[in-house]
Amino acid sequence: MSNRRMLVFNILRGAAAIFLALGVGFIFIVLSSDEPLNALRYLLIGPVFRIRDGVLSFNTTSFQTILAAMIPTIFTGLAVCVMFSASQFNLAGEGAVMLGGFVGALCAIYLNIPGWIHPVVCVLIGAAVSGLIMLIPALLKVKLGASELVTSLMLNYIIMFIVLHFLNYYFADRSKGATQTFSFQPTAQIPALIEGSSKLSWGFIVALIFVVIVALFMYRTKWGYAIRMIGINQPFSKYSGMKVGATIILSQVIGGILSGMGGSIEVLGRYNTYLWRELPGYGWTGITIAILAKNNPIFIPFAALFIAYLDKGCQLMSTYSDVPSEMIDIIQAAIFLFFAAEQFLAKYRQKIVVKNSRLEMENNNLSQEGRNA
Amino acid sequence: MFEQFLDTILKADFLFSIIRITAPILFAALGAVVAEKAGVVNIGLEGIMSISALFGVLFSYWTQSWLVGVLGALVVGVLLGLLIGFFALKLKTDIILAGIAVNMIGGGGTIFLLYMFTGMRGNTGALVSQNILIPTINIPLIKSIPILGESISGHSVLTYLAFILVFLIAGLLYKTSLGLNIRAVGENDQAAQSVGISVLRIKYIAIGISGALAGLGGAFMSMYYSQGWNSGMIAGRGFIALAAQAMGRTEPIGTMLSSLLFGFAQALRTKVSGLQGVSSYLVSLIPYVFTIVGLVLYAISTTKKVHKYRQTQAEAVEA
Repeated sequence: MSNRRMLVFNILRGAAAIFLALGVGFIFIVLSSDEPLNALRYLLIGPVFRIRDGVLSFNTTSFQTILAAMIPTIFTGLAVCVMFSASQFNLAGEGAVMLGGFVGALCAIYLNIPGWIHPVVCVLIGAAVSGLIMLIPALLKVKLGASELVTSLMLNYIIMFIVLHFLNYYFADRSKGATQTFSFQPTAQIPALIEGSSKLSWGFIVALIFVVIVALFMYRTKWGYAIRMIGINQPFSKYSGMKVGATIILSQVIGGILSGMGGSIEVLGRYNTYLWRELPGYGWTGITIAILAKNNPIFIPFAALFIAYLDKGCQLMSTYSDVPSEMIDIIQAAIFLFFAAEQFLAKYRQKIVVKNSRLEMENNNLSQEGRNA
Repeated sequence: MFEQFLDTILKADFLFSIIRITAPILFAALGAVVAEKAGVVNIGLEGIMSISALFGVLFSYWTQSWLVGVLGALVVGVLLGLLIGFFALKLKTDIILAGIAVNMIGGGGTIFLLYMFTGMRGNTGALVSQNILIPTINIPLIKSIPILGESISGHSVLTYLAFILVFLIAGLLYKTSLGLNIRAVGENDQAAQSVGISVLRIKYIAIGISGALAGLGGAFMSMYYSQGWNSGMIAGRGFIALAAQAMGRTEPIGTMLSSLLFGFAQALRTKVSGLQGVSSYLVSLIPYVFTIVGLVLYAISTTKKVHKYRQTQAEAVEA
């Protein structure tokens, strides 16, 4: 009973935060655009509806594109979920995505493996390498106490330049105008889930499966429990005999594996050659998504859907009106600030808590009276 | 090749570029020092630099005065610092997340803001003219000393300010009551509260100062270093500043030395990438690898110290 009221409050609070963030976005749109209504129309309903002659019709392809855009961000969202649950502010998800994509791509070009096993092997190798690279910030944190925040931020740049070095000096296909690798072998490509231009591959299903796996891992295994406990109260975990160091390392390596997997699945599902020349940005989006999902893996796909929808809306808005698509960063920042604000609407929470405890006391009194009588 | 390498770095212009490259990192790193001393992690330095770099150019363009531009950037920096403070201290957003949010605004958000204010996309190219850039100063006497003069004289006003600020910040932290309060709050805020220090106010002040310093760093970047604003121009300098602060043990002088080390690494990168047969990408790694190695060395030295301390304690107990 009291829990349900709290749940309703939390949902309403989240909705209020999102509305406030969108409100901030609207203010900026109105300030910057000559045709704010047109811009808003594309931002809000453009992603899934086609508007022609005043008639709304559902745009299936566009909806599929949104689902396809969720693939890498579900993975990075899960990765951030695991790492932030252990209070490990490792921000190298960004680099891990790029590295996983690159390694996966190399395997797709140079390994000769038949049929459907090929992409699986590529993705696993990409994920493993990204997991290993996360040992750097994790071990430095555990063994030497160096802040994972700073080392992981530096790691992003290091990974980017190393990938660019190898891409340019060893693996570039010089016959192409832009710097990119040779084409993947056809066996390595992740097949499309739905044929068409949407790029919605089987990776989407894999991502959803991993949502379930990570949720089970976090809430049904002792390692997941240890990760969450360390995030809540590290000294307590230590004194109750948990292996704090090993768990911290585990959480960051899992974060790396998930990010790397997202990167390689995205590359193998969307392109037929490797062409990322800068950090792809999915790592940062993953942080927004994890915050929207309150670090709960089950909510990750919904948060990813919301962000993908918003992103698509911003793109349409910049194409068909005069508002630049970078608007999304302002909205995301506002979501970030309000959604993660513990004290946002805290007065109402206080009221609910007071009301609940009053009801509880009354119930207790009643039952006691009953006993007395 | 090695001789060629030595030839390049043992020159006045190399020293000059080290100082020039160090300044923006130093501004932000000093900001990190002040915040960290008050127990506040300001990871938003990167974003603050980018946003105030943009506003520095805009203000100086609107008023055609570089001074107003620099002050504008400083004010924007303070406001952003206070914004992080408001969300972190008042609304209890995790301060790291609040910082990341500001970094987001500094990333894509600035492109949007630029468009909103000027209708331009991506960079401020057309707005910048020589008279709104930060002027340089030739120091009399020193100017005429060979090598030293060439490398120390002729920098911008803000470059000198960065190095002067090292000592001003040290003075602020160790010679004023505000500094004492800042350090007390950072050391143990409950103890500070119990002797009547307003912890919240001190934290706001510290993060405001931190924002101001990052704002100056931003102005330096757009109004002197790159002569104009473009997206991505900060390129991790705010993050490197955090590393410099950690490596400098959160002390102004130490932080200046570690910032100089990063300045050296960056300057080396620019020089070496001009040489034949060197991968420009691997060279670009230098500052970032320096940062991690520096942090590791620092961490090793502290763990050793703690170890030593414990040993002497144990021996004392035994005796």
